[in-house]
Amino acid sequence: MDTGSKDFARRRALLATLLAGIGAVLTGAALYPVWRFLAPRKGAEAQDQVALSRDQVPLGGAHFFNFRGRPAVVLQTRAGHFTAFSAVCTHLGCVIQWQAAEQRFLCPCHAGLFSAEGAVLGGPPPRPLESLAVSLRDDQILVG
Amino acid sequence: MSLRKTLVDWLDIRLGIRDLLEQNLTNYLLPRKINIWYTLGAVLLTLFGLQFVTGILLLVYYVPDTEQAFASVQAIMNEVPYGWLIRNLHAVGSNLIVVALLLHMLSVLFMNAYKKPRELTWLSGFLIFNLTLVLCLTGYLLPWSQLSFWATTVATEAPGAIPVIGDDIVRFLRGGAMVGDATLGRFFALHVMGLPLVFGLLVGVHLFCVRRAGISRPPFGEDYQGEPPRYTFEHEHHPGGIPFFPNYAVKDGAVICFFLAVLAVLVFFAPNLFIPPSAFEPADPFVTPPRIKPEWYFLWAYQTLKVFPSELIGLGIQGVLMTLLALLPFLDRSPERRPAKRPLFLVCFVLGILAFVGISVWGHLS
Amino acid sequence: MRRMGLAGLLILGLLAAPLAVWADEGSCIQCHAPQPGALGEPVALWRGSVHQGNGISCHGCHGGDPTLMSMEAMSPERGFLGAPEDSAVPSFCGRCHVGVEEDYRASAHGLALGEGGPQCVTCHGSHAVRVAGLDLINPQDCSRCHDYGRAGELRTAMEQTETLILALDAELKQLRRIGIAVEDWQGRLFALRNDFHRLFHSVDVDKVRRQTDTFQAKLAGMQDEVAELRAELNQRKWIGAGVVILLLAASGLFALLRQSYGRQENTE
Repeated sequence: MDTGSKDFARRRALLATLLAGIGAVLTGAALYPVWRFLAPRKGAEAQDQVALSRDQVPLGGAHFFNFRGRPAVVLQTRAGHFTAFSAVCTHLGCVIQWQAAEQRFLCPCHAGLFSAEGAVLGGPPPRPLESLAVSLRDDQILVG
Repeated sequence: MSLRKTLVDWLDIRLGIRDLLEQNLTNYLLPRKINIWYTLGAVLLTLFGLQFVTGILLLVYYVPDTEQAFASVQAIMNEVPYGWLIRNLHAVGSNLIVVALLLHMLSVLFMNAYKKPRELTWLSGFLIFNLTLVLCLTGYLLPWSQLSFWATTVATEAPGAIPVIGDDIVRFLRGGAMVGDATLGRFFALHVMGLPLVFGLLVGVHLFCVRRAGISRPPFGEDYQGEPPRYTFEHEHHPGGIPFFPNYAVKDGAVICFFLAVLAVLVFFAPNLFIPPSAFEPADPFVTPPRIKPEWYFLWAYQTLKVFPSELIGLGIQGVLMTLLALLPFLDRSPERRPAKRPLFLVCFVLGILAFVGISVWGHLS
Repeated sequence: MRRMGLAGLLILGLLAAPLAVWADEGSCIQCHAPQPGALGEPVALWRGSVHQGNGISCHGCHGGDPTLMSMEAMSPERGFLGAPEDSAVPSFCGRCHVGVEEDYRASAHGLALGEGGPQCVTCHGSHAVRVAGLDLINPQDCSRCHDYGRAGELRTAMEQTETLILALDAELKQLRRIGIAVEDWQGRLFALRNDFHRLFHSVDVDKVRRQTDTFQAKLAGMQDEVAELRAELNQRKWIGAGVVILLLAASGLFALLRQSYGRQENTE
């Protein structure tokens, strides 16, 4: 082997090492997103329940509260019977109001009406209110 | 080192791997004058590989249902970690592939490499090109956006101009009178399964043709002596040429990395270059978005259809043009490959490119 | 198949127009649009209005049945209301804009209804209704009835919050353009804007000033969330720049390797 080809070999070994380094970084940069993309995520169900006191909700009345960052409402339709809904109107996202006299919800933006069961009674809303799971424990109402 | 040797030995005894590598890599000699345009095949293989991988990843979260498709793509873009990256790579990558395909075709045309004995290589390549466009078209519908819906409506409407059977073809393509669930179903099946299978087969045929016939010599320089007449099969050897690996493979590597860099620039800094606003609105069959235009690589066809008084004439001319291109090696049979000695071809080549660019720009502006 | 793929995406604009028109035409428009004067004008005015943009057509306000092609379409049994009397306009519009009506009724404007006080149409117009903005409060319009002075004060009190709302709205539209899901934010901003605009109808400067802080606090909350997202988008660009540089470096190293092989090939 003459000196010329030795020089070539040395230079190439250097270049190849640098390339291998960059290649390793880029491979990592490509594999990490794929791994994150496929890794199971924490679903919404992992989030906490919201606890309310029973006397916050009068019979025939409504109580508005914050549920996982969004407005929600719980009703006591019959004594000891509680139902909960998202308080966000399904039309354009305004917050609904409880009309105790009519026992229904009104959206003040475009007069959407929902029954105490969350069903659409009138106006533009395309879907019923999103219903939330309710359970009772001692004096508490657990939503979610 | 010894671990590697053991492993190679193990494989060698069973598969004759050393011989295989030598024949296809280190002892596979390419013409000395080989130029940078010969790397585009490797670039395309890489880009298609990327489409394949990102496509499978997108399938994990995509829901092929008209009620859920748009929301699932929105979720991929917004909620799934790095979903935006995978999705943009797939969508932007398809555009880059069309660019690379056009360059690949143009370089083969310019060097007249499609001629005997490489007619089949050209033909399979041309089919791959068209299949890619159909993949683009079918993939377009899947996000079920306004863009998807209306682009597909118009695209599937075009054959309606064919007399007698036109309407039946339209219905068959859509699976019904209008673009809807049935259309999404068949386009989805084609895009993720049917077409990729055919595509893989065609790429196999194409590569086989390339390898079997041997790499063509670039028709430039004084030592290029023209092609010898061929009456029997003969692999084109290049004695005194350079080995594919490592000598030419590093050039492939350089150009591949360059194309990937371009892709990264587009994905990270200008993903919307190829994505109009209507791609972010869910499909609404009752509201046509304003100023809807086809993808840039379909603009030429869009404009030719508009220019002619009847759509049928426009369709016919496009059909004739594409058929002529597909059969070019069977029509253009002179063995001369030097562009300088083929002034008429050269003029057609340049005028063709100018016409393509000109008509596309016209279509974009009109 | 191949040719169709190519020939395919072509005649986009051609098919488009008829379908769009078909979607919101009913018998009201078919009969009224060609008529001269007050019977036909509303159709042209309504086109391009915020109501048309949201798919609210004639019968949404005036009642009647747009699927019937006879005069029966305008019978009271079909719920036809026709054009309301001046003093009935607030309840006419208030069927949908309940919050606004409530605040208006309690205001000086609303209390003067029927005694020269303005009703909805006085300021908003009837058919060419646009998205309401602060430019509706201006010397020309307000001084039709009274001094601009207090109206100007009201406008000044609302200006800052309104500007914030408009800026956030524009920002959300921009984000939407790049594929970010902003529907949730847009919904919240719509609700907030609605509350804020209904506040105007009380025409009570002190009330506006008292509530400004609450509105601005809510807006600031949303702005923070959007800013956080913006920061993440910027971070992506930095990472992207790194990837691009690494790829270009790899390309350069490959090119150097090729150069080295080329030199050796030439010496052989």
